Amino acid sequence: MTRHTRILMSVIYGAFVVYLFVPLVLMVLMGFKDSKFIGFPITSWTMDWYLGVFQDTEVLTVFAYSMTIAVSSTLLSLAIGTWIAAFLGPNRFRGKLIVFALTCLPAVIPGIISAISLRIFARLLDIEPGMLAIILGHTVHNVPFVALVVMARLSTQPKSHVEAARDLGADSVVAFFRVTLPYLKPALIGAGIFCMLLSFDDFVRAFFLGGYQPTLPVLIFAMLRSGMSPEINAISTIVLILTAVLGLWAERSMRRLNKGA
Amino acid sequence: MSGERDVIVHLDKITKRFGKTVAVDRLDMQIMAGEFVTFLGPSGCGKSTTLRMLGGFETPDEGRIVLDGTDVTRLPPNRRDVNMVFQDYALFPHMTVGQNVAFGLELKGKGRSEIDRRTGELLEFLQLGGFEERTPDQLSGGQRQRVALARALAPDPKLLLLDEPLGALDAKLRAQVQVELKDIQKRTGKTFFFVTHDQDEALTMSDRIVVMNAGRVEQAGTPEDLYFRPVSRFVAEFIGETNLLEGKVRGSDADAIVIDWNGVELRGSAHGHRPEPGENVMAALRLENVACHPDKPAAANAVQGRIVSRLFKGSRTALDIRVGERDDAVIKAYVDAAKAQGLPQDHLWISWDIERLTLLKDSA
Repeated sequence: MTRHTRILMSVIYGAFVVYLFVPLVLMVLMGFKDSKFIGFPITSWTMDWYLGVFQDTEVLTVFAYSMTIAVSSTLLSLAIGTWIAAFLGPNRFRGKLIVFALTCLPAVIPGIISAISLRIFARLLDIEPGMLAIILGHTVHNVPFVALVVMARLSTQPKSHVEAARDLGADSVVAFFRVTLPYLKPALIGAGIFCMLLSFDDFVRAFFLGGYQPTLPVLIFAMLRSGMSPEINAISTIVLILTAVLGLWAERSMRRLNKGA
Repeated sequence: MSGERDVIVHLDKITKRFGKTVAVDRLDMQIMAGEFVTFLGPSGCGKSTTLRMLGGFETPDEGRIVLDGTDVTRLPPNRRDVNMVFQDYALFPHMTVGQNVAFGLELKGKGRSEIDRRTGELLEFLQLGGFEERTPDQLSGGQRQRVALARALAPDPKLLLLDEPLGALDAKLRAQVQVELKDIQKRTGKTFFFVTHDQDEALTMSDRIVVMNAGRVEQAGTPEDLYFRPVSRFVAEFIGETNLLEGKVRGSDADAIVIDWNGVELRGSAHGHRPEPGENVMAALRLENVACHPDKPAAANAVQGRIVSRLFKGSRTALDIRVGERDDAVIKAYVDAAKAQGLPQDHLWISWDIERLTLLKDSA
């Protein structure tokens, strides 16, 4: 690579980083602006918008609501995804590939399609729009990610581990819980955080499957329609920090997983 | 344990097929309590399948496995008094050494104090005292192997299966562990069922060796039996280094059989075979059982020859000795390196103990 192309590459990369981060920085900055109107110049600064967020009971309720949905759908996804992985991983049977493809499908179906179909299906099952419907919708979407990550981890477990457990007196259930599950732990942590982020971030499914109580993304959308306020910036900044921390932690544990630790 | 040994395992004509291949073919064998028995053979000979059937990881298609008077043929691994040391040790990575060893005892429903006492005793016995709190990745290969052994011994099994447990160790350590393993077996009085493809391991440790080939037993006997009196070409070639001598029976007298080999008369032992004169046979003679002399020895079965090649191998020298007229009438011999220097190149004599030149059953 010549000097010129190297400089050019650095400039392009720099431009990309600027493009990526300027909107985020602007959003964070505006959250500290002591004025109702978003835009420059910023003449004085304040923490009031942040304090406002923590005093706004509606925002806090919605945050708790979104968290409940994220945690529940994650736990469900982990249980179902692990079960599918444990079933698909070691067994050989005809049509395994088809079952595998069907398992992965919900991950690639466009959100809007899956949201509409889930809405119709939920009505058919007499499930009211609301928390349960959203949890189930998120679970359907998240299970493939869990299954894939767990299956990858499972394939690195030596067959002899389970055999040794069986040899020492464990039936297949005990062997799974005492030997296989601990081995899957890093995969479950990584997949779990990923599911939480997907669920917490989701707008389309929550919008279609939700009732009167909005989730956080739905609430922000509603607030936007009644006019941009720096409070939205403050909420978004808090969410940004939380998800970035969780996401980086997940990424780290996934990387350790790939190293086979 | 004294006097007559009891039968602890009876493999009653067991057969195992994988698709069209017959992995184990009507294997019929008894294993005595307290015995160190080694199944020896190349990969794919059926030794590991036999071990896995004993462990409960495979079910025989035909035949029965009787363990201490109970038919266990169809019992799952967790319901047999048999424990196994795996080839890769299969230590549970998320458990400490102590927890690994205690695992089998916990599942047997033993009390905490008994588990702790037995775990402590075993780790002490295997020189692993003070390692309880370590995890498997903090141990050396030899230590891991001993933890795997402790874990398998902990539930006090009637039979201990060892699936090539020395394969992952380096050569020096392996020699040391062979001695230790034999010692442990003697001190615990346990029945060891050991599987290996390494003849050294088999010869060093076993009370009895079972050589397997293509799903069948080629020969079973003490290490000495197999080494000095192989019954088949397979065994003769698999264990040690051997001259394989193909010839015609010329006749036999009181204690020896005479074979015409490339025009040279060789005298050996038939070991129960009664071949007719004129029959084509094959005999085996170990390289180190050939004695070389500068002058004609008193023994009747001496032949004259000349050295066509010398290979210095440190403590000993490998000689190719041509006897008789034909070019391919060559007998190989191992001679003490110092002695080899004093041997004449052209007119030397070789002899052997008649018992050491043995007729093989799959002659011709």
